[in-house]
Amino acid sequence: MTPQATASHPRPGPAPPLLMLLPALVLLPLAVLLPGLVHGGGWELIGQFAAAALTPSLDPALLASAFRGLGVTVAIALLGWALSLALGLVGGVLSSRTVWRTLVGGAWSAVVLRRFLAVPRSIHELLWGLLLLQLVGLQPAVAVLAIAIPYAALVARVISDLLDALPTGPLDGLRAAGAGGAAALLTALGPALLPGAFSYSGYRLECALRSATLLGVFGLGGLGTELRLTLQSLQFHELWTCLWLLLAVMLLLEGLLRLLRQRWGMPGRFGLAAGGIGSRGRELLLALLALLPVLLLLALALGVNPAALLVVQALPPFHPDWPSVLALPWGPLVGTTVLLSLLAAALAVGVAPLLLLLVAPWPWGRLLLQALWALGRLWPPPLTALLLLFVLKPGLVTAALALAFHNLGVLGRLLLEAADTAAGSAVGGDAEAALRCAGCGPRLALFYGRFSGLARSYLAYGAYRADVILRETVVVGLVGAAGLGTLLLEALSSFAVDQLLALVAVYAVLTLVGEDLSDRARRRLLAG
Amino acid sequence: MHPTGSPAGAPPPVLELRDVTVQGRRSHRLAGVSLQLRPGERVALLGASGAGKSTLLAVANGLLPPAGGELFWEGAAPARSHRLRQRQRARIGTLWQDLRLIEELSVQQNLNAARLATWGWPRALRNLLQPLETPANAAALQQVDLDPALLSQSVTALSGGQRQRLAIARLLRQQPTLLLADEPLAHLDPRLAAELLALLLRQATAPRALLLSLHRPDLVSGFDRVLALQAGRLVLDAPPGAVDAALIQTLYGAQPPPWPDGPP
Repeated sequence: MTPQATASHPRPGPAPPLLMLLPALVLLPLAVLLPGLVHGGGWELIGQFAAAALTPSLDPALLASAFRGLGVTVAIALLGWALSLALGLVGGVLSSRTVWRTLVGGAWSAVVLRRFLAVPRSIHELLWGLLLLQLVGLQPAVAVLAIAIPYAALVARVISDLLDALPTGPLDGLRAAGAGGAAALLTALGPALLPGAFSYSGYRLECALRSATLLGVFGLGGLGTELRLTLQSLQFHELWTCLWLLLAVMLLLEGLLRLLRQRWGMPGRFGLAAGGIGSRGRELLLALLALLPVLLLLALALGVNPAALLVVQALPPFHPDWPSVLALPWGPLVGTTVLLSLLAAALAVGVAPLLLLLVAPWPWGRLLLQALWALGRLWPPPLTALLLLFVLKPGLVTAALALAFHNLGVLGRLLLEAADTAAGSAVGGDAEAALRCAGCGPRLALFYGRFSGLARSYLAYGAYRADVILRETVVVGLVGAAGLGTLLLEALSSFAVDQLLALVAVYAVLTLVGEDLSDRARRRLLAG
Repeated sequence: MHPTGSPAGAPPPVLELRDVTVQGRRSHRLAGVSLQLRPGERVALLGASGAGKSTLLAVANGLLPPAGGELFWEGAAPARSHRLRQRQRARIGTLWQDLRLIEELSVQQNLNAARLATWGWPRALRNLLQPLETPANAAALQQVDLDPALLSQSVTALSGGQRQRLAIARLLRQQPTLLLADEPLAHLDPRLAAELLALLLRQATAPRALLLSLHRPDLVSGFDRVLALQAGRLVLDAPPGAVDAALIQTLYGAQPPPWPDGPP
């Protein structure tokens, strides 16, 4: 068969819109398993929890402490994010092949650095937080660093990917005209890098707020601590006070970033191709400069003391017992971790389009989904897990449901945004309108008309999300049966340093392999 | 409520507009338009840009509810219930200027998309997995002079002319009683335009009626009737013979429309 003939035939197998619903098949085994997991106990508690949403406590003392907690969470998020941007930008430039090739000639150092940067990002920020906590004791800077380290590595990767994906024509042109290496790089690649880099860093700020909340749940400061305490002492009215506050801040931040993205003409998260250069580069740099004093003030208010980070706590004596570490059930541990990630990923990826289809005919359905997904994004998975434990037995499925709900919040929002963009575009939206005009129901019209165009990029993003989820499994470790995550948290609290080292190493290798697989899946999906 | 003018026993008009008004931002987009389309009738709609042709078609396919006046499809007013209105719309086929094919699906799947109004979810899902109703789809392709071997092809692999024909074949698969087409011949070269027009006219046999908007008065000879709109008002409802240079002058003003072959 000639290449042309293969190209003209659609790929065998399910067509795009159906492809989008396939991950939802995971609901079938789940529906079989769930009845066996319900222990009946706490439906009343769940009811109380839900009812308390409408009657949050307005006690002045509580409000004051909630606002203080919120301030700490926001400060941690902003500082961690800013630090990660600064480090990530440097790391990204240093691990870019184009930059090395231009300045030095060879690109091998970029490749080495890139490999090296994969390690910090393979470890979840919670793990960094807990490790640092052991090392330097509880202080505000721990949470900031815990966010900054993995985020910096993530930003570095994205920056270097963006840099190396830029066309080299303008750069070669400047070099040929005799421009120096550094000047040519700055002129040819700098402006082209801006839209993608800033759009991504805005997205990282949203993530940082969620991470800061999560770190609080594990006692590293901020409103997360209050969330966990009020949940565990069943003070649901007080809990909702904190939750509404956080929700308001998160939605405000997301709204602001969306506005800025539009104003500066930056690509959304979903479209992987960068848009045109924002014509307001100066305005953008000024905004960043204005942020600097704010950050300094925040650091002062938070009491971040860099010197205190250097005082390492006395570690317990290290007597490694490697044979017993080797004797751990590594196979089942890794297997459980992978299964947990896949289950959670399939649930999150599959349920988002399913719910979108479900609410398609109702005008208020969109709003309902937006609210549900905002809650999912914000509500840290370990707390979902605790909530689920009121009615479900601890175990893999419970952990997966908690992880899935959080990621559903992230994926669902992106899908909704992408679907809205498609509705405005000439092709997707019009195909849907044509189907509606021909008497097709709203759900089928959405499914055929708009999902067809979205399917590949959505699934590609889902593959990326699966990789994130694999890293995240540690946060639901406290429900048990989360594989490596559960054991990691146990090793941390029992100071079993030998186990801890081995577990972190295995976890890191696993997430690196996962990252590679997800990258391949993504490339294949986007190429098709 | 019954449409007027239909003698006892005769089938009701496929489409009837009575004194239909659509309000634009500054003026009426349609002002008191009344018309009937009988089964088997082929009607051309003429008018300058902005005269209200697209608005009239949007009212006719139910996309735009009129601000005033009444509308009947096959003798019945648009139903209030969602489901009933859906059933009515399933009998109206619209040929869009941008065709609105689903690019990610195969030719066969696109043809079957026209059946979605009557199919439930099980068949809609199966259509994405395996070829469904191949004989009916092959017949539809043959009716528009396309090779049934194209069924398994991706839509993106088709040429411009093939895509036009496929869109018409998809209309046929919908089995509508009312065929609407909004300037389907714009941007087509004269030969392809003539071929497609002949094809569309051939499909409109009783009980099906055709309403097609055109920007070329030279192509109206094959129709049974010609309507003309000017500033939202119906200024002509007559056989094609009535289209003459004077009318063209009133409709299009100083700038005559493309008239490659002289007056009809």
